[in-house]
Amino acid sequence: MYICINKVLRMHIPDSFIPLLQAAVYWLVALVFIALSLRWARAEMREEKVPLVAVLTAGIFAIQAINVPIPWGTSGHMMGAALAAIVLGSPFAAVFVLTLVLIVQGVLFGDGGITVMGANIINMGVIGGFVGFSSYKGLNRVLKNPYPAAFAAAWLSLFVAALACAVEMALAGTFPLGLGLFSMGLYHAVIGVIEGALTAIALFLISSARPRHPLARIRG
Amino acid sequence: MIIALVIAVAAPFIASSNPDGLESAFFGIFGAKEIHGTDLDEDAAGAAEEQVQEITGNTFSFEAPFPDYSIEGLSKMGEALAIVIGTILVLAIAFGLGKALSRPE
Repeated sequence: MYICINKVLRMHIPDSFIPLLQAAVYWLVALVFIALSLRWARAEMREEKVPLVAVLTAGIFAIQAINVPIPWGTSGHMMGAALAAIVLGSPFAAVFVLTLVLIVQGVLFGDGGITVMGANIINMGVIGGFVGFSSYKGLNRVLKNPYPAAFAAAWLSLFVAALACAVEMALAGTFPLGLGLFSMGLYHAVIGVIEGALTAIALFLISSARPRHPLARIRG
Repeated sequence: MIIALVIAVAAPFIASSNPDGLESAFFGIFGAKEIHGTDLDEDAAGAAEEQVQEITGNTFSFEAPFPDYSIEGLSKMGEALAIVIGTILVLAIAFGLGKALSRPE
C-alpha cells in the first residue's frame, strides 16, 4: 500500500485510485467551480492582467515540477494555489490557474489521472484556493503584514488540501482514513513550510516588480 | 515593460526546473517504503498498484505522450526539456485563454 503514499503525496491522484462513480461526482463539483472561475475571468481580467495570469500559471507549472526532498525519504512540491489566489485577488483565480496546470500535467505528462482530475482540481484549485485566499485575508488583517500572512495561508492551503485528499482516498477505499490523515498530514505539514516560504518569496518578487499592481491594495 | 518585468520574475522558475537539481531521494522514493523509513520494496510497490485497482474498480488508463515528464531516449536532459516545453505550453494556453476571456481596457 505504500506506493499509494508515494503517489498520493504528490497529491496528483492517479486514475486507479478513485472509483469511477466518485470520480464522476468530483468532476461535477469541479466543473461547477471551473465555470465560476471562467465567470471570474470574464469579469475581472482586463487585457493588461493577462500576461500576469499567464506567467503565474506557467510559473506554477514549472515550480510544481520541482521536487524538494523532505524527511522520511520523501519529497514534496509546491502547489501554488494560495499564491495564485493572493496575487490575482480571488480564490477563483486559483481554480482557473490550477485547472490549466493540472490539465497540461495530466494530458501531456500523465501527472495525475484523467478520470480523477476532478478530485485533483477540487483539492488543489478549489480547496487550496479558497483556504489560501480566506486565511490570507484574515491573517493580513490581523498581522498587518502580507508576508507572514501569505506564509501561513499557503501552509494552511496545502495542509487542508492534503487532508481532503486523504479523506477522498478513504472514501475510495484506497487508503485507511486514520493512516491517510496521519501520513498526509505529517508530510504536508513539512511540505507546507516550503509552500509558505516560496509563496511569501514569490509574493515579494511579484509585488516589487509591479508596484502599480493592485497587490498594493491587498497589502493595505 | 510590465510584461518584461513579470517574465523576469518567472524566468527563475523556468530556469530552476532542471531536474538535475532534484535530489536522488526523489528517485529513491519511487516504490514502497515505511512512513518513517527510507528503504524501498519494489515488489510490494507493483503489487500495491494492482490492489488499488481491485479496490476501486477504476481501470481507466491514459497514455500520456510524455509520461512522468520523460522524453524517449533523453533521460534527465529530456525531463528538463519536457518541463520547459510544458511551461511554455502552459504560458501559451493561459495567455490565449486569457486574451479570449478578457475585456479591453
